[in-house]
Amino acid sequence: MTDQMRLRVDAGLCIGVGQCELLEPKIFRVDDDTGTSTIVSAPILPSRRAEALVDQCPSGAIQIDPDVSPTPATPPDTD
Amino acid sequence: MTSPATSPDIVSPTIYLQGIPHREFSEIMAHPGLLWHPYQDGGFWVVSRHADTKTVSKQPKLFSSAVGHTNLWDLEADALEARRSIIDTDAPDHTRLRRLVSKAFTPRNINLWENVTREIACELLDDFRHAGGGDWVSMVAAPLPIRVILSVLGVPVSDADYLVELSNYLVEGTTDQPSLAADAFGNTTDLHLLPFGSPASHALFEYGERLGAKRKSDPKDDVVTQLVMAEEDGNRLSAAEYRNLFHVLVFAGNETTRTAIAHGAMAFSEFPDQWKRLESDGAISAPAVEELLRWATPVLHMRRTATDDTELSGTPVARGDKVVMWYPAANRDPAVYDHPFDFDVRRETNLHFSFGGGGPHFCLGAFLARMEIRILLEEMLSRKLALRQVGAADRVASNFIHGILSVEMEVM
Repeated sequence: MTDQMRLRVDAGLCIGVGQCELLEPKIFRVDDDTGTSTIVSAPILPSRRAEALVDQCPSGAIQIDPDVSPTPATPPDTD
Repeated sequence: MTSPATSPDIVSPTIYLQGIPHREFSEIMAHPGLLWHPYQDGGFWVVSRHADTKTVSKQPKLFSSAVGHTNLWDLEADALEARRSIIDTDAPDHTRLRRLVSKAFTPRNINLWENVTREIACELLDDFRHAGGGDWVSMVAAPLPIRVILSVLGVPVSDADYLVELSNYLVEGTTDQPSLAADAFGNTTDLHLLPFGSPASHALFEYGERLGAKRKSDPKDDVVTQLVMAEEDGNRLSAAEYRNLFHVLVFAGNETTRTAIAHGAMAFSEFPDQWKRLESDGAISAPAVEELLRWATPVLHMRRTATDDTELSGTPVARGDKVVMWYPAANRDPAVYDHPFDFDVRRETNLHFSFGGGGPHFCLGAFLARMEIRILLEEMLSRKLALRQVGAADRVASNFIHGILSVEMEVM
């Protein structure tokens, strides 16, 4: 399992709750004009945090981007 | 096909005069699959487990909010049309309505109201302390959230008492015994077309329309002005949508937080060791606020309607079946919570469903409610204001709102 994941925002689904901005304020910001979440820096997170974010987004707008492989492969966990 | 096993009664409103029927919910949760609850001419599936509640909430296409309404009973077509609001719509209508108001309620924008909230909380708590206690609901739990939500929306705070009075009548509309005459507040609309079947909804609609007209001619930098401007645009918000959205914002923006604050005070009175924990921590942590919310569960249920044949926890659910999520059950699901009947302000990982099960209908005011509760507790803590309940709370006979009409608290 990769230990990092890239995220994306489906603007059509976003309802601007702001859960993403609350949990990952460096990456997401709800735009005051459009009322939807925008990505303001590289949306790459450790898998656990990425999955928690996807789970906690009420509208399903925050998604794992399956088309983009994130950072170079890291050695598998041995523990 | 054999008929499904039947649920014990969890809908008779008078049950709730004694509090939430936890014994029945535990029984329902322990039963494999879902139980069927007879209701009027039909019935509904009882969704009680945490996992099932989440499954239903997160699949808004499969479990619709718009079909038949979110009540236990179906609304007639004309009532559905007249009462259509952000609560009982699906995408794309829901998305459009939600985006019109979402930005006012993001965590960042809610933080801007912290000072206003603190000022109101300080005033109410000082008055309460000087009075040596009294009815916690009318003195603190009700006035705090109404004043804050009116400030956030741009509604004159001087009208708070009137709008609380209307809210009280709306809550009464969820019971078996509403007291208002059909023509109260000059109402001429057929009651089935009004939210909660209450003439107080007519009064709230009228109030919102009057305020909207004022903002149209004299715009301000507030939510009401943004909404009437969206209405002016033509295709962004209809007149009926404006009415209903205003109604939801005012009602849900005060009643639910009021209920949470009432139950919170009762919980700290029942579990004084938990208040002592906060005192020794010297601060209000996020887990304390979340536990208060879990404990209170202000809204008792929401209904969805299956748009296709499916299954839940192994029970087949047919297209058109009603499924009703009972949040107090999910919030005490032993599969998720250790000692679910303990009120524990240090409880970790508390993904409660007091704001809904985590789908697109996730409570719009969640961050506002959390902020209000945190600030109120902080100001109680700084005043060393420990409360002790005197006598029983006067509860609302409703299977929808976990309401407290009044509860006497003395200052320790």
